[in-house]
Amino acid sequence: MDTKLKHQPPVWPDRFLEFYCNPSRLEQIQGDAYEIFYTNLEERGLSLARFRFFIHVVSFFRWSNIKRTNSSHLTYTQGAMFKNYFKIGWRNLIKQKGTTFISVFGLACAVGCCMVAYLFIAQIWFKGMYQPYKDEIFQLTYTAEENDGLVTYGTIAEPISELIPENLNQVKNQTRVKVDFSLLIHANESFNQRTMYIDPGFMEMFEYRMEYGYPGALHEPNEVILTHQLSEKLFGNTHPIGQEISIVTNGTERLYKVGGVLKDLNDMDLFNFDLLVNINSLNTFSAEKPLKEAWKEGIWTFIQVEDSESISQMNAGFENLRNIQNAIDPETPYKSIQLEPYTQLTRNSEQIERGVISFLALGPQILLAAIASFILLLAVFNYVNISVLMASRRLKEIGIRKVIGSKRSQLVIQFLSENLMVCSFAIFLGCLLTGFIFLPGFNEIASKNMRIDLLRDGYIWLFLGGLLLFITFASGLYPAIYVSSFKPVSILNGNQKIGSKGVFTSVLLTFQFTLAIISIVAGIAFVQTNYINAKRDWGYDNTDKIIVNVPNSAQYSGLKEELSSLASVTEVCGSQEYVGNFLRNIEINFEDNDYEISLLNAESNYPELLGLQLKQGRLFTLQSASDKKESILVNQAFLNELSLTFPLDQKITIDSIPYNVVGVVEDFHTVFFQSLIDPLVIRASQDTTFNYLTLKTTQGAAVDLMPTVKKIWYETIPRGLFEGKLQADVFRNEFEDVLGVQNILLFSAILSVLLSTMGLFGLVSLSMNSRIKDFCVRKVFGADLIDISYKLMKRYLIIWLVAAILGSIASVMLISAFLNSFFAFNSGVGIVPLGSALVILFAVITGTVASQIYKVMKVNPAIILKSE
Amino acid sequence: MKGYHLGELEELVLLTVGILNQEAYGVSVLEEIKNQTGRKVNISAIHTVLNRLEDKGLLQSQMGGATEERGGRRKRLFSISASGRTAIQEVKDLRNRLYDQIPPLALDFSYGH
Repeated sequence: MDTKLKHQPPVWPDRFLEFYCNPSRLEQIQGDAYEIFYTNLEERGLSLARFRFFIHVVSFFRWSNIKRTNSSHLTYTQGAMFKNYFKIGWRNLIKQKGTTFISVFGLACAVGCCMVAYLFIAQIWFKGMYQPYKDEIFQLTYTAEENDGLVTYGTIAEPISELIPENLNQVKNQTRVKVDFSLLIHANESFNQRTMYIDPGFMEMFEYRMEYGYPGALHEPNEVILTHQLSEKLFGNTHPIGQEISIVTNGTERLYKVGGVLKDLNDMDLFNFDLLVNINSLNTFSAEKPLKEAWKEGIWTFIQVEDSESISQMNAGFENLRNIQNAIDPETPYKSIQLEPYTQLTRNSEQIERGVISFLALGPQILLAAIASFILLLAVFNYVNISVLMASRRLKEIGIRKVIGSKRSQLVIQFLSENLMVCSFAIFLGCLLTGFIFLPGFNEIASKNMRIDLLRDGYIWLFLGGLLLFITFASGLYPAIYVSSFKPVSILNGNQKIGSKGVFTSVLLTFQFTLAIISIVAGIAFVQTNYINAKRDWGYDNTDKIIVNVPNSAQYSGLKEELSSLASVTEVCGSQEYVGNFLRNIEINFEDNDYEISLLNAESNYPELLGLQLKQGRLFTLQSASDKKESILVNQAFLNELSLTFPLDQKITIDSIPYNVVGVVEDFHTVFFQSLIDPLVIRASQDTTFNYLTLKTTQGAAVDLMPTVKKIWYETIPRGLFEGKLQADVFRNEFEDVLGVQNILLFSAILSVLLSTMGLFGLVSLSMNSRIKDFCVRKVFGADLIDISYKLMKRYLIIWLVAAILGSIASVMLISAFLNSFFAFNSGVGIVPLGSALVILFAVITGTVASQIYKVMKVNPAIILKSE
Repeated sequence: MKGYHLGELEELVLLTVGILNQEAYGVSVLEEIKNQTGRKVNISAIHTVLNRLEDKGLLQSQMGGATEERGGRRKRLFSISASGRTAIQEVKDLRNRLYDQIPPLALDFSYGH
């Protein structure tokens, strides 16, 4: 026996056994294990015995033998506890339906606004992020030395893509991508569509869900794939596959067959296109170009590299490509060629010139995020205020819970778990609101096509989860901590006062009112600005004029003649651009200084036809040949910019030709009111061909003449797209855009007023409930309407006053800045928006409180005082 | 009849505890099964079965008999409870009854020749 006990079972397994084993079984198990160890030791030797001991310890590691701190009994009661919390919470909510509705509805509206804002921001930043190979795809970019330092370009010389296979053998797939506004003709109707020319490899690198057909259709050079929207637009309900369309590129028409239709992209694709076309079909008719010219042509080039480690080995290949480029095109040499990860394209879009993403629309993002957080804050404050007051009805419950041993943390958890229930409900309702009301409305306004995609979009779950946590804690933490802080003795004595007089409540209410004022001011100021702008004088006569585009210079004179012969057309005039479109900037030279000035090139009767108001000097003389060579008109802004006065002695040089300024016209709006009026030069050009024709009609005839003009146009120019419009309609898109923003702002103003009204109503009615006896006693002792109203109104009027001051200051600062960033011409935040905001809020407060006063006046004090 | 649903190893362990009579604990049951049937069973499996049978009320146990090999730890000694005995009896009866019902022909090796 002694010899045996010289050896001990291995220490670590033994300790492990002691660590995990249930104490009630440890003695039995460990004893048996030891006994077997010594038996084994005797029979089979030390190492085997030790090994067997270890094996036994592991095999004893079973569920029934493992020590558990929470026995199953304890977890059961915890489950019951939460069930109990939820049940109590649910009963409380049901008992106070009105206030529950206010909280849940408010939160749901806020969640809806947040969702819309989130979706809008996400569709900008997470574009294309659902692509399965997004981490393997890279865009080729190059860096070149420009005047203002190094610039990175997203377009790379087109022939490089042919050299990729031999220089970069790590590349699995590659594609060129070129977006072009091509003319699409189907069933004798023309459309301008965003056509994306791609290599067939594109469809292997990027995955699209197909509605009809299959992605491989693009391997055929004469097949195209349409987006859902385009297919709807062209074919409606008929089956699109196999239908024929023609596309005009570089003046050549080519027939294609529809090979597939993509499922709705919901604005989530990185590329913005209406149809996909095999790029090889483009090359066949662009013929053989000179080598150097081909290298001048820039194009987006994407490659797919499966193995991320091989990217570092590609530098030699890039070096090689760069050398080839520098040899062929030494005037614009590349400094380096590199890769831009597909996933970074949006984030780095600022650094890449001519990249896939050209602008990020930061303004709308900020606006929407601001509105959403405004509404969210309002709703959360509502909820905080109301739940503090609601808890006043549960003081006894809190007191008793504390007396029978609830810890404060347990009470906090109880209130938070009730809150979680409300917030989950609000989130659910908010999703429904978003899906069925907010999002369709917003899509309509912003002409977007966004959708809540719960199945494929993982980010939205993260967002919703985060939002749930945020509103649960933001709205629940303060009430939970506040309510659980009372002493049970004072609660049960009936001494505990709660809530409505609290400073915190007043602060929140003030803040709410301030937010409401700001949003009302924003809405009304925007409406006012739009109203003023709609009536604004454009600086010229925009009635009775039709603008017609001339895509092909060959048909210019023919079209002009045809249109002139129309009875109700009094005058026709050609121009390079038309007023209302963006004008080309040119460099002019005056007294050895260079200026960038907009140029309007037109026939000499254009200023007169347009009805520009002459300020000084004269307009062009129609028959004068010298006017066409050496005269220009300028606008007042031009003189201001160069600080000149008319008449000018010096000449102004454009393209090294000196010009006389023969007249000055009043400023007029060539672009929408979002921008200031730029300095402008009008030049009467020789009778050449122009891009646009402006028709002056007899009074009131323009609208009726439109169909005739369109018919003549299509007769003269068979393959083209008629883009004629009335001069009065040139700002139509812009007006629609600002109307959309106006609707969003009005909606948020109404929502914020609604939310703060509901919050106030809940607050007033709850505090009224607890003070009704007070008022009844007053009534019994002879208080009249004025006394009671004064008593009730005083506090809210003070809050209104504070909020009015704060809100006015804040909105003058914020909303003015907002309007200025949106419009160069705006109404500013004047007395109208401020005054109406204050009056609206005052009316709302008075109305809400009055409803409670009415309640007090109607009630019979005897009944109230008799009860209890 | 409610019946006792005993697993194969459960039945074996229950019988062994009966055989060992007051000296049954983990290791001794293991040894006994090994000696009687030649089956090597893992000690942890024996423990699980013993505890499960005790939970079912077929065995009862008390602590006792510390030895030096066990590091001074006591054994948990199992003995068959009254319902344990009933269970054995029932299982045995059931087996016998089923056995008796097998047609004799099946045991006749000359069948079919």
